[in-house]
Amino acid sequence: MLAGNLVNGLLLGSVYGMMTMGLSLIFGVLRIVNVGHGPFLMVGAFIAFWMFHLFGLPPVVSIPLAIAAGIVLGFIFFYLVIRRLVGAPELTTLLATFAIGILLEEIAKFLWGPDFRGFSWNVGKLALPPITTIPMSKIYALISSVVIALILYLWFRKARSGTAIRAVMEDSEGARVCGVNVEGIYALSFALGIGLTVLGGTLLTLFIPVGINPYMGGIYTLKAFVIAVLGGLVSPWGAFYAGFVFGLIENGSYTLFGLIPSIEPFSMTRFLAFLLLLVILLFKPTGILGGR
Amino acid sequence: MVGLIIVVAFSGDLASSLSQQAQLPSEILIGGPISLSGTYAKEGSQGLWGFQVAVKWVNEVYGGVAIGGQKIPIKYIYYDDESKKETVTSLLERLITVDGVKFILAPYSSGLTIAGAPIAEKYGVLYNSHGGASDRIFEQGYKYVVQTIVPASRYQVDILDMVKALDPEAKKVAFLFEDDEFARAVRKGALDYATKLGFEIVFDRTYPSGVADLTPALTEMAATKPDFLVGGGHFADGQLLAKQIRDLEIKLKAACIMVAPTLPAFGEALGAAAEGFTGPAHWEIGVRFSPETTPWWEEYFGPTQEWFIDTFREISKGVDPDYHGAEAAAAILAYVRGIENAKSLDPLAVRKAMSFLRFMSFYGDWGIDPETGKQIAHKSVLIQWQHGKKEIVWPPEAQTAAPWYPMP
Amino acid sequence: MRRRLAKYYPLVPVYALYLTLFLIGLHVRGMWQSMALLAFYAALGQAFNIFLGMTGYVDFGYVAFLALGSYGMALAVSGLYKFDWLGGGIVVIGLLLALVMAGLLSIAVGGIALRLRGAYFAIATIGVNEGFRYLIEGARLWGGSEGIIISRNLREAFGTAGANYLSTFWADTLIFIIAALAALITVRYMHSKIGYALTALREDEDAAKVMGINTTKYKIIAFITSASLGGLIGASAWALKLTYVFPADVFAIIYTVEAIVIVLLGGAGTLLGPLVGGVIYAALKYWLSVTFPGLQLLILAPIIIIIIVAFPQGLIGVLKAKVKGTALEKVIV
Repeated sequence: MLAGNLVNGLLLGSVYGMMTMGLSLIFGVLRIVNVGHGPFLMVGAFIAFWMFHLFGLPPVVSIPLAIAAGIVLGFIFFYLVIRRLVGAPELTTLLATFAIGILLEEIAKFLWGPDFRGFSWNVGKLALPPITTIPMSKIYALISSVVIALILYLWFRKARSGTAIRAVMEDSEGARVCGVNVEGIYALSFALGIGLTVLGGTLLTLFIPVGINPYMGGIYTLKAFVIAVLGGLVSPWGAFYAGFVFGLIENGSYTLFGLIPSIEPFSMTRFLAFLLLLVILLFKPTGILGGR
Repeated sequence: MVGLIIVVAFSGDLASSLSQQAQLPSEILIGGPISLSGTYAKEGSQGLWGFQVAVKWVNEVYGGVAIGGQKIPIKYIYYDDESKKETVTSLLERLITVDGVKFILAPYSSGLTIAGAPIAEKYGVLYNSHGGASDRIFEQGYKYVVQTIVPASRYQVDILDMVKALDPEAKKVAFLFEDDEFARAVRKGALDYATKLGFEIVFDRTYPSGVADLTPALTEMAATKPDFLVGGGHFADGQLLAKQIRDLEIKLKAACIMVAPTLPAFGEALGAAAEGFTGPAHWEIGVRFSPETTPWWEEYFGPTQEWFIDTFREISKGVDPDYHGAEAAAAILAYVRGIENAKSLDPLAVRKAMSFLRFMSFYGDWGIDPETGKQIAHKSVLIQWQHGKKEIVWPPEAQTAAPWYPMP
Repeated sequence: MRRRLAKYYPLVPVYALYLTLFLIGLHVRGMWQSMALLAFYAALGQAFNIFLGMTGYVDFGYVAFLALGSYGMALAVSGLYKFDWLGGGIVVIGLLLALVMAGLLSIAVGGIALRLRGAYFAIATIGVNEGFRYLIEGARLWGGSEGIIISRNLREAFGTAGANYLSTFWADTLIFIIAALAALITVRYMHSKIGYALTALREDEDAAKVMGINTTKYKIIAFITSASLGGLIGASAWALKLTYVFPADVFAIIYTVEAIVIVLLGGAGTLLGPLVGGVIYAALKYWLSVTFPGLQLLILAPIIIIIIVAFPQGLIGVLKAKVKGTALEKVIV
């Protein structure tokens, strides 16, 4: 039973990681916590839904579209709002990103209504007796996450713009002195961060292709915070690994809490997640995976 | 003590100023706060359309509320409460005092219904709950609160009846409900009934709202080898529950999930995976409640089902009604019949008349417990997804198709 | 004497405004609940501002204190309603319990999380709020997810009319009182060591530390004050007024966000700001929900964004700069 849970946790963790990289990237570069994170995931989930519903395209095929749409959204919001708030006190940035989230939700509701939608992309199952049975779509989610993370890694290491982002992350003043167009990097990082987040939403539908609606994002914002903190908050890679850790903890601790009578193990796993968040913030704010 | 004297003096003053309207108005105001945005936006929009259909029927087909030898039309007034408790109280007071509404349609959900009840009680206006299912609302001793929706404790009892009738061998039931006020009330009702019928509850867990992955609970449940599952909560989690039962290939003879399967979106989202899932519905397109099926000793009131569905689609621009829309319409019909029986627009007189009101409509039976105002007459049905369609499978007298048992 | 009183002059416009709202509610038919709504948001802003406005720390989990306050009241009422001789004392005990529970949580959180700064602090407080909620649900504390309903208990203790009046009049009046109290405390803090220390801290925390200011102490004082007032608001505006407490409803982060909007709209760290912000915010929302049902958030969100970008110092902040050097300088604070 525990083994089955852990396998599922690991699979879900890959999506969690992908979903959180954007949050960490934006915080790492701009020092802005995107409290409107969840609604961007919702956009990605809707992209996957509409592509499947209208054209029969599976979510894996929608990935490039999701990234592109996210990057465009990211640039729009950066130049309209975020550009003016870089370096502003937390108060304004937290509120601004939250308001952007509400705006997205309400636009989505206006366009698509409050219905709970979903689709089924049946591509067979992988039986792992006696542990569990896994739909292939979840395996594709894992593969996509890892491949995208790998591409991103190479781009960060090799491409000029990628290394520039890393430089700004380390020390924005130093980077400016070295001739890096810091404002351009801010814009690019924000757009890329949103692109990854929207993409995360699309990948999420490989795992959970149901319950897609304008207000679905909120719960994932909170999860993403925990994961980002686990990963050290400033590092997208930390977040990616932390996603796996979080998936394992979430599903693994259920079994353990289940042994204690008269409590609800599911709610306790969430309690544990937030407790973990506090403990890490207090004692190891660089994350459990060490350093940046 | 002084405060209490002021209390009595002040509220008495208000009550008398409200009741000094012996003359019949040119229209009867019915209205309420409704959730058009926020958490309950989905249920709220169904409710709004349902109200609008009922008002249209009363005014245009029925000709208005018959009282004092006249036919008076209804005017429906609503404001968006954003699914928030603060907003409910102020909008309610506005409806009651500024607009002069004496027949309130309570907001959606048990919490918001409780939030508004003290205001309704203070002003002595009727408060008809079409979306607050919790039994606890009716344990608080309110005088003006009545219920049209089926109380939560009765949501998940039909499935137990059905399994007992179809398969006396099936003894092991698993409970997996959402962890919130509403779902827990349903669970408690089902738990009591299951124990009474002699079922063995082999698994009993809840999951938090907004759950993303149910596999840990489902894996644990599968290990207890239940014959059938009773559970659910709202829309998204219900869809997820069904989806993951299929993903994990858990064998069940029946799975009854509340709320989610009653929506067309359930079948659209899950496709073939939806086949065989059942759910309790307070009403469903195709239920056979019509003037013809109504027994001679009961009165049929309101539009026919065809009229209701056609008009609903017209007003909603193509969206099909679900039970939220139907029970909203029934709440208005109950007010109309209550006013006519009371021959008065005084809320207390209408409340008394509603105590003894029994009628049949396209929605089914309506009748409350005279003491508490709780809905006791309405019976829900069980639907099951068969060949991509919702069929009514229980009770036998309402069937549109025989139940698939065990489920595929 | 005059000098000692002079620092209270800024309270004149604040109290005049609260009194106006109160009197409109009392005398204009059908306006009481609407004025109570304005007062609720003003009080929320006023209490939140004591910590956020003065320190610049964003407590995103502030709503947890309102939640605990509402539990305090609900526990007191449901536990004590049988004791007739207590009479209105039940409500007093409820308020005290709310104060204690919110206060204890704030000491715990303040003692631990206030070591963190900026975004880290904001995220930590979100964690406290969510963690507490799931602990209540998971460990089935205080009724778990089913919460506590106290309608019946209130009716048994105070009679039907008394309970109605308590929920629809006294609960709202209490909010006015709490708001007035919060304003008074704000003025007192502004003109005491706490205010000066916190101003220094807000400008540059490290520099303030170097100057020998015990920043932690003053931060915690402001934090506990703000949290306790929040507990009182929760006890009155939620438990007493709405007669129920469900964890999903009272731990809703949206209230923190609304409090931030109010403070920012009016002007962080000002006295008049939260009141003006609260009144404008609530009135705008109310008007939108009546005029454009279902679309108010779609309209409100861009307005909030524009305000943040165009007037980050808030309405009173702008006004303060305008009246500098004029006679009004003393009262617009």
